[in-house]
Amino acid sequence: MSRHKLVKALDLDEELDDFDGGAESDYGEEVGAEDKEQLRLGTAKVRAVLGPEVSITDKEIEDSLWHYYYDVDKTVNYLLGQRTNSQTPKKTKKQNMDAEVKKPDAPFSIADFFSDSPWLNIPEDRRGEILIEPLYPRGKLLGGTSNPDGAPKSKLAALAAARKKKENQRVEDGQNATSSVALLDKLGHKPRQAKSDNALNLSNPKPSSAITEQTVNEQPRKYSRRKSKGLESPQNDQPVKEGFIRSHSLASPDIEKKPEITPTAGPSVFARTIFGAPTVSQQHDIQTSNRYVLAPDTHAEFDFTGPSPDDIVTKAQNTKGPTKKSHKQPPQPSSGDKSVNAVVQGVGDVTIEEHKVRGKTLDVVAEFERSKPKNAANFVVIGHVDAGKSTLMGRLLYDLNVVDQRTLDKYRKEAERIGKASFALAWVLDQGTEERSRGVTIDIAMNKFETESTSFTILDAPGHRDFIPNMIAGASQADFAVLVIDASTGNFESGLKGQTKEHALLVRSMGVQRIVIAVNKLDTVQWSQDRFDEIFQQVSAFLTSAGFLAKNLAFVPCAGLTGDNIVRKVDHPQASWYTGAPLISLLESSEPITRALEKPLRMTVDDIFRGGVQNPLSVSGRLDAGNVQIGDAVVMMPASQTASIKDLEVDSEPAEWAVAGQNVILHLADIEAKYLKSGDVVCAPSAPIPCITSFIVKILAFEHITPMHCEVHKGRLHAPGRITKLVSQLDKASGAAVKGKKPRMIKPGSVARVVVEVDEQVPLEQGGRVILRAGGETIGAGLVE
Amino acid sequence: MTDRRRMNGPSGGTAPPFFASSLTSKTASPTQRTRAPDELRKIFLKTGLTPSASGSAYFELEPSTPTAASKSLASKAPALKLTCTVHGPRPLPRSAPFSPQLLLSTRIKFAPFAARYRRGYIPDAGERDLAAHLDTTLRGVLISERWPKSGVDVIITVLEGEEDDPWNKGHLNENERAGGWGMMSILAGCITVASAAIVDAGIDCIDLVTGGVAAIVRQPTAPLQVYLDPCPSDHEEIFAACMIGYLQTRDEITELWTKGDIKASTDGHGANSMGFEPLVDQAMEAAVAARLVLIEAIKESTGMKVQTSRIGHPKNAAS
Repeated sequence: MSRHKLVKALDLDEELDDFDGGAESDYGEEVGAEDKEQLRLGTAKVRAVLGPEVSITDKEIEDSLWHYYYDVDKTVNYLLGQRTNSQTPKKTKKQNMDAEVKKPDAPFSIADFFSDSPWLNIPEDRRGEILIEPLYPRGKLLGGTSNPDGAPKSKLAALAAARKKKENQRVEDGQNATSSVALLDKLGHKPRQAKSDNALNLSNPKPSSAITEQTVNEQPRKYSRRKSKGLESPQNDQPVKEGFIRSHSLASPDIEKKPEITPTAGPSVFARTIFGAPTVSQQHDIQTSNRYVLAPDTHAEFDFTGPSPDDIVTKAQNTKGPTKKSHKQPPQPSSGDKSVNAVVQGVGDVTIEEHKVRGKTLDVVAEFERSKPKNAANFVVIGHVDAGKSTLMGRLLYDLNVVDQRTLDKYRKEAERIGKASFALAWVLDQGTEERSRGVTIDIAMNKFETESTSFTILDAPGHRDFIPNMIAGASQADFAVLVIDASTGNFESGLKGQTKEHALLVRSMGVQRIVIAVNKLDTVQWSQDRFDEIFQQVSAFLTSAGFLAKNLAFVPCAGLTGDNIVRKVDHPQASWYTGAPLISLLESSEPITRALEKPLRMTVDDIFRGGVQNPLSVSGRLDAGNVQIGDAVVMMPASQTASIKDLEVDSEPAEWAVAGQNVILHLADIEAKYLKSGDVVCAPSAPIPCITSFIVKILAFEHITPMHCEVHKGRLHAPGRITKLVSQLDKASGAAVKGKKPRMIKPGSVARVVVEVDEQVPLEQGGRVILRAGGETIGAGLVE
Repeated sequence: MTDRRRMNGPSGGTAPPFFASSLTSKTASPTQRTRAPDELRKIFLKTGLTPSASGSAYFELEPSTPTAASKSLASKAPALKLTCTVHGPRPLPRSAPFSPQLLLSTRIKFAPFAARYRRGYIPDAGERDLAAHLDTTLRGVLISERWPKSGVDVIITVLEGEEDDPWNKGHLNENERAGGWGMMSILAGCITVASAAIVDAGIDCIDLVTGGVAAIVRQPTAPLQVYLDPCPSDHEEIFAACMIGYLQTRDEITELWTKGDIKASTDGHGANSMGFEPLVDQAMEAAVAARLVLIEAIKESTGMKVQTSRIGHPKNAAS
C-alpha cells in the first residue's frame, strides 16, 4: 500500500474528535461535587448490571453516564454495543493509525515517494508547498495578565496549550508523529527519522555536528552518486586489499570515513593583518587530539600472487653466494649464474683508455749521454736600467753572426727614423713594438747562440724596476748571470743603489752562484783604469757581502755599442792596461752544470700558445729537473689534469727527448687550454708536485719584514699572499736559530724563517726558491722548507 | 623576452646572508616531522579577502615547526600562503569566438619573495605547469554549460611557498625548481583555495573539490611509510608522492598527479607494502580532511552574508 493512500485514509474528523476528547478532560475539573456523587453511584449501578466479567474502566462508564445524563439503562446498552465491536471505536482508529505509520521499517525516501511520477510532472496530490514561516513576534495573549499560570484560559488558548503539550510529549517519547501530523509534517519528519535509524545501525555513531553537515550534503543532491564499480571489477579475482575496501566504502555513505576534527588553524600574524581582528567565529578552540579516525594502516594484506617470503630469501641466498665468490676469484665462466656472468662481462668490457700518442720509450738518460752534448748554459743578463744589457747582447749576437748584417742594417734605419739610433743593437732582442718605441726591455727575451765548445741561451732580463717579476722569471731559468754595469759617471752610482743591487741579490737568492760582471760603456770614460778599479772594488765588496764567492766573480771591461772586448779583444790604445780575455771566453769558461736528470720531471710553464695547425696547444719552458720524451704522460699542476706529450722541441728544433736544463716546447694532447696558465708546473704523474697554501720559507730579508701582505714569486708564477708569522731569526753564518724572543720584525740583510700563506694553491715543493715582494719592492727571497 | 616596464630584480638567486650562529645552531639541521603520519598541518582558510573580486579566498598552512622555536630568520620553517581571486563569470570580449560554455583561465604566480629563490614577474615553466594542473581540476567541478559566452579567471598568488630543501647548498637546479616535491602541496593548497573562491563567487559547481597530498617517505629511524601532507624539508627522502583533486560526495577524482618511483621504495623492504593505490587512498584522506576546513570556511562566510543581507536561508546559499 502506497503512502498517499494511507494519508488519504486518515479521517480528519476523527482526528479532531480526538482533540475534543482531550479538551474534555480539562472540563472535568469543573464537575461539581453533587455531580461527582451521582457519577459514582451511577458507575456502581452500571457495574452491577454489566457484571464482573466485562472489563470496562470506570472512566468509560463515567463518560457514558455523563453523556446520557446518568441514565443507567442507556449507558449499559451503549457500553454493551461497544463491547460487541470488541473495542471502542476511538481506540481502534488510533491503533490502526499507529500500526500503519510504523509498519514501513524501511526509511522513508523521497526517491521512493516520487518513483512512479514522471520527471517535472508530479501529480497534484503529491505536491507539497514549502512555506517558510515568517518571523512574527512570539505569540502572546492579547490583554492577558502577566501571570499566565494562575489566570483562567480562554477555550482557544487552552486548546492550543493542550496541543502543544501533547506534541512535546510525543517528541519526548520518540514516537512518530501520528494522528495530528499534517502531510507536510510527515514529509519533513520522515527522512530525518530514517536517517537517525541509519546512524544507529552503523557501528560508528557520528558526532552530532557531523549529522547536520551530512544533511547539508545529502538532502539537496540532484545527481546520482557514481559508484566506483569500475575500480572494483578488475580486482575481483584477487584478494581485495584494505585500501580498496576503504575506497569502495567511500562510495556508500561517508559517515565512517569522516575525520573527527577539522584541521583548522587560527590565522597567522600575517593573516591577521589582512583580515583585521579575528571574529568570534574564527576562534575555534583547537583540539589537542590531532588524530583522525582513519589511521592509515601500513600493513596491507599479503599478496599471494607474488613470490612468498621464503622464495625471496632462498633466491637472495642463491644469488648472493656466487657474486661474493666472484670478487675473490675473478672469472668463473662455468658458473651458470646470470649475475656473475654479467659482472665478468662488465669487467671484460672495461677498457683502459690508452694514450693516443705512442712514444718510443727511450732511456733518455742513456741517450743523453750517448749524444755527447755540447756544454750548454743559460745565462741571464741583469743590471740597472739603461746599463746597455740588450745592446751588449745584440752586439754579441751580431759579432757571432747569429744576426746578419742586413737585419741589423734594417734595424739601424728604423731606429734612426724614430731618433734612437743607438738602440739598433738592442732591437735584436727587443722585438716588441712597445719595447722598441720606449727603448726599454719589458719581458724576457731569449736567444741562442753557439760557440765551438758551448751552446748558450741568453735570457735578456728587463732592467726597469717595474718589470722585476719578469726578471725573476728569467733569472729562475739561468745557470749563471751576466751583470752589466754602466761605467759612465753617475750612472754606476745610481745603478748600485738601484737595480744593480736588487738584481744581484735576486739572482743570488734564485740560486745563481757564478756571475760575470761586464763593466760596460767604458768607451765613454776613455777606458779609464781608475774607473774600472773603482767599480771592481765596490761591486766585488757588495757581491761578496751578498753571498757570492770571490772566485765566482769575473770582471771584464767592455763597450757594447762599439763591440770592444766582447767577442774580439779591445784594440783601443787607452785600454791596453787590460790583458784579460774578452767576454765570450769568460762565458765559455763557465763549468758545466750538473743536471738533475734522474729526478722526477719538473717544468715551470713559461708560455702557452698555439704551436701550429698540428699542435693546438703547446707550452714552453725550461726543464728544471728530470727528463721527458714524446709519448710521456704528464700532469699539469695545480689543475691536476693529465696530458700526453705529442711532440717535443728542444731549442726550437724537433727532438724526441729532452733533459733538465734544456729549453723545450712541449706540444700537448688530451688536455684543454682552460686548465693551463703560465706558472703551472708540468710534472711526472708518478710524483706530482704538491699544491700548498701555506709553507715555511727561510728568507733573506731585503727590507723590513713584519707580518704583512706580499706577493710570492717563483719563476713565472706569482700569487698574492701574506706573511703570517715570523718563526725565528737565523744566524747568517751557521743557519741556527737565534735564541731569544720571537722576532717581531726582521731587519734588512738578516735571515729568518717565516710562514707564508697564499690565497690560492700554488705548486711548490721543498727546495723551491721563492721571492717575496710587496709594494713593488723585493722584500725577501728564500728557500721553501 | 624581457619585461622592460618594471624594475626587475636580479634574475638569479639572492640568497640571504647566512650568519655563523644560524649555521652552527641546532636549528640549522633539517627539521624533523613532529606530526603523526596521518596528521595534516593546520589550515587557515577564509573567503572574501578581496572585495573587488567576484570571489576570493586566503589559504594558509602553518609552518611544520613552530616559528617560535627557531630564532633566526634564515632557519624559518617554510609555510604556505596563498591568495586566490576569481573574476567572473563575465562576458567574453566581442572579439572572442563564440563559446557554448564557461571559459576557464587559471593563473598561478609566485610572488618574487615567495621562496628563497627569487622569481621574475613573468610566469616560468613551473608556474605554468601548476596552472595547467589547476585548470584540469576545476574544469571537472564547474558546471560550465550554464554560462555560455562568458569567462572566468582564477588567479592565485603564492605569497609564501615552501621549497624542497631550504638548506640546499647554494645551488638550485632548473628541474628542481620546476617541480619539486613542494610543488605538490602548493598545488593541493591552490585547489582548495580556488574551490573556496569559486564558491565565494557563486559559480555553480557539482561539488567542492579539495586537494590532498600523500607521500611515501623514509624517515631516518622509521621504515617506509605513507605520510599525509608531507613537508619536503621535514623528510630525509621522499620516494613518491601523490596529489589528488577529490570530490568527496561524488567520490570522483578530477586531478591526479603522482611523482617519484614507487617501485624503488618497495624493492628495499620486500613485499608490496607500498603500492600506488594505498598512496592514492591516503591522498584522498588528506583531501577529505581539507574539505572539512573548506566547508567550515564557506559556512562561516555564508553565515556572515546572511547576517548582513538577511535574504534566503543559509542552507540554500551554501552550495
